[in-house]
Amino acid sequence: MSSIKQIPVITERKGNPLARVFDEFVRFCRSRSLFILHYCTGCGAIELPPAMTSRFDMERLGIQPMVSPRQADILLITGYVSIKTLKRVILTYEQMGSPKYVIGICSCTVNGGMYWQSYATAKKLDEYMPVDLYIAGCMPRPEAVLAGLQKLMDRIHSGEANSWEDYFRNYDYYLGNQQKLFGENWQTPTDIITEAKHYDLIGEGTLGKHTQLLEQHQKPLEALDMRLGHDLKEPTE
Amino acid sequence: MMAPMELIIELILMPLVAFVVGMMMVLMMRRIAAKLQRRIGPPFFQPLYDIVKLHSKQTQISHGLIHDIGIVMAMGGYIAAETLLPVPGMTGIAEKGGIITLLYLMMIPSLGLALGVGQCANPNGSIGIARALTAMLAYDIPLVIVIFGVAYAAGTTNLVDIIAVQQAGGFETWGAVQMPVLAIAGLIAMHASLGKQPFEIYIAPAEIATGPMVEMSGKYLGGLFVMQCFQLYTTSVLYVSLFLGGGTTWFDFLLKSFLVLAIPVSIAYLFPRYRTEDLLRLMWKWPVMLGLIGVAFVL
Repeated sequence: MSSIKQIPVITERKGNPLARVFDEFVRFCRSRSLFILHYCTGCGAIELPPAMTSRFDMERLGIQPMVSPRQADILLITGYVSIKTLKRVILTYEQMGSPKYVIGICSCTVNGGMYWQSYATAKKLDEYMPVDLYIAGCMPRPEAVLAGLQKLMDRIHSGEANSWEDYFRNYDYYLGNQQKLFGENWQTPTDIITEAKHYDLIGEGTLGKHTQLLEQHQKPLEALDMRLGHDLKEPTE
Repeated sequence: MMAPMELIIELILMPLVAFVVGMMMVLMMRRIAAKLQRRIGPPFFQPLYDIVKLHSKQTQISHGLIHDIGIVMAMGGYIAAETLLPVPGMTGIAEKGGIITLLYLMMIPSLGLALGVGQCANPNGSIGIARALTAMLAYDIPLVIVIFGVAYAAGTTNLVDIIAVQQAGGFETWGAVQMPVLAIAGLIAMHASLGKQPFEIYIAPAEIATGPMVEMSGKYLGGLFVMQCFQLYTTSVLYVSLFLGGGTTWFDFLLKSFLVLAIPVSIAYLFPRYRTEDLLRLMWKWPVMLGLIGVAFVL
């Protein structure tokens, strides 16, 4: 969904002349410090350890692995996503803090790869969430992974890597594809529409017939009740 | 008695210096880890990039007021502790505070973290903070014994005086030379208080997803990164003040602090992790035993 026309034009900013210097500094820091959350679903996971450890050493580029979606900047999906997995991937993606980037590694995330004929596999990842970068190959070598990450760093530094905004601007499209796969009752714990309002990223594609469907089925989010232990009794119904 | 203006400048400068030195200590820690694993390691300004990036995230998820206050406590405890740690040329309020106040202040960050994590309501975080407080219980007992021994030998709980006593006779009056058994016990307790492997029970990324940090994002995680800088600085400078005669010049002082920190950090990346009960058993057996023997020598 990210075409050339949708990339917003950054208008000239008035006021403090130091603000632009500060923005530049922040963009530089963002590009040089990337925490990745690797969602290793398929065989692409094999190529990540050599990219991280002594042979290729990601840390010299400021990239280090993190373990929880809250802390991470990059969601790295390495391989096919089955329909069941995709639900978890979407939940993970929505819990990450913006600005966030998605990288699809291996051809499975591009078009299904060798799982094209599988009934249980989601073929194109960018139908369900905005993908910043694909690293194609079956499987890409660590050199290719690092080259891709450096490309992403350049894009972050120049301010082009803002496809996370696309998820808010075109939420209806992504939600529609998700509903097609998971059924009409699909609902995530994250309220994307409110979040889009918060960031002032409501676009033409944010609300539509799919979000209307969501609002019909949506159950209000409730806090889990805090108690010790499990109630082992069967529900009497 | 110093002028109030001078004191205020010192109180501002001391945490700032601690932060900058602490960032370099984080860098050193990561570079040592990289060298041990035959990697190149992060660039020089990497700790700064991480902190700026985390504070500039657009999503800042707060889980409530106590979460915010917890992070402030975690950082504030250490910032307060820095003003009690004398550095060359600056003593701050070290003469008035003394070492017992410093010990109390060094416990505040763990408690603040416990408050903040409690509101996140993440089971991994709760397990992590329970382990962190258990670990605190484990290493605080040898640490208190060691500090009692040093204070008894010097005849004062004033850190400035303890340093002056050690500097009086050159190398031979250093705490580490006078009380080698206590110095070893202190080193083990210091290693445990840093929370590095093999005592890394409460971070444990592969097991409980970084424990207390699991729900932290953006500036909250950034705050914890800043806290880590202060933690490394406080721990190593306290050890230098107690056993290595503080520092007469900045070069001397920084060299000692970095060298002292390099010992546990180099050991850390060679080891896996203990379980909680093993940590407790180990800490209450060996450093406590060594500490008591050391105290017996001092008495």
